[in-house]
Amino acid sequence: MSVNVKSREEILEYLREVLVELFEVKPEQVVPEANLYEDLDIDSIDAVDLILKLKELTGRKIQPQQFKHVRTINDVIEAIQSVMAESPAA
Amino acid sequence: MSRIGRSINHAWRVFATGLVFVLFGLGALLISLTVFPLLRLSTSRADEARRRIQRAMQRTFRGYIELMRVLGVMTYELHGIERLREPGRLIVANHPTLIDVVMLVSLIPEVDCIVKRGLWRNPFLRWPVIWASYIPNSEGEELIERCAATLRRGHSLLVFPEGTRTVPGRPMRMQRGAAHIALAADAPILPVTIDCDPPTLFKGNPWYRVPERPFHMKVIVGEPVPSSQFRREGEAPTRAARRLTQWLLAYYGANENGHPVEDQKRTNSAASTVPIAPAVS
Repeated sequence: MSVNVKSREEILEYLREVLVELFEVKPEQVVPEANLYEDLDIDSIDAVDLILKLKELTGRKIQPQQFKHVRTINDVIEAIQSVMAESPAA
Repeated sequence: MSRIGRSINHAWRVFATGLVFVLFGLGALLISLTVFPLLRLSTSRADEARRRIQRAMQRTFRGYIELMRVLGVMTYELHGIERLREPGRLIVANHPTLIDVVMLVSLIPEVDCIVKRGLWRNPFLRWPVIWASYIPNSEGEELIERCAATLRRGHSLLVFPEGTRTVPGRPMRMQRGAAHIALAADAPILPVTIDCDPPTLFKGNPWYRVPERPFHMKVIVGEPVPSSQFRREGEAPTRAARRLTQWLLAYYGANENGHPVEDQKRTNSAASTVPIAPAVS
């Protein structure tokens, strides 16, 4: 899988598709400042499924510790970016 | 009843309720130090000890319920409770009062429960909860996996999907944990409706504020529902958990926002708006 550095917009767009598919959120709800738990009703078990799904994008598993302090969509984007930064394209 | 008669009855029920609480605490301590260790020593097999201890738990809680009835604190009626004996089911219930767990455990010969993880640090209660193979309320994936594992072994598990007692007048909030457990174990769900009239021992109501008359508890056990019916081919499992949770909310008479479907006192008739209605025997 190519692990090119993706822009914030590309990641947000991908995230929007994933969240709609997995959690039936409305596409317009997926904005950087949205809180996962309070605004999107995504709980800790959902987060496990989300991490698994994001592996398809990043090509490597995001460690739960890296996801521990994630509260908002913006935090998710940053977590994805940092994972992709540490796994250079093979 | 005359006014004086009523106030004597009221004072009696405050006293009796307090007495039951004290006996509950002392009884728990006494049994934990005597009956449970003896039961544990009565067999070398851990699963047999678990069975004996859970049965002792049932009888003890049965005793507390009968005590409350004899003392005139409460009355009760039970419907369809024979369905609680079937093993391997996720038994879910609404949670109007503090004594729901006492009532339900008193009706189920063997059932696993989720209990406060703080008890594993309590010098008196840590061994009984371990021997009974109760499940500590850890978080997220770990808790779901432990619960699913016990169901897969064919044990029944009691869960209050709201996670805490219902606050009267507030929308019903349903955690998705129960749905995740049922789906992970592929276990049937057995829904139980508890009704308490007049409301008492609800969240934020101190024990000494007893209701105007002895409270009446109604326990209605519904029909089991296979959790597989909430799955759809080619769909993310997270969606099935949402669908199951919505079904539970509807079953207990709340719409997706947690508000009662009909603007009336919550009654069991609300459950009849759901395709799978509880059978009242």
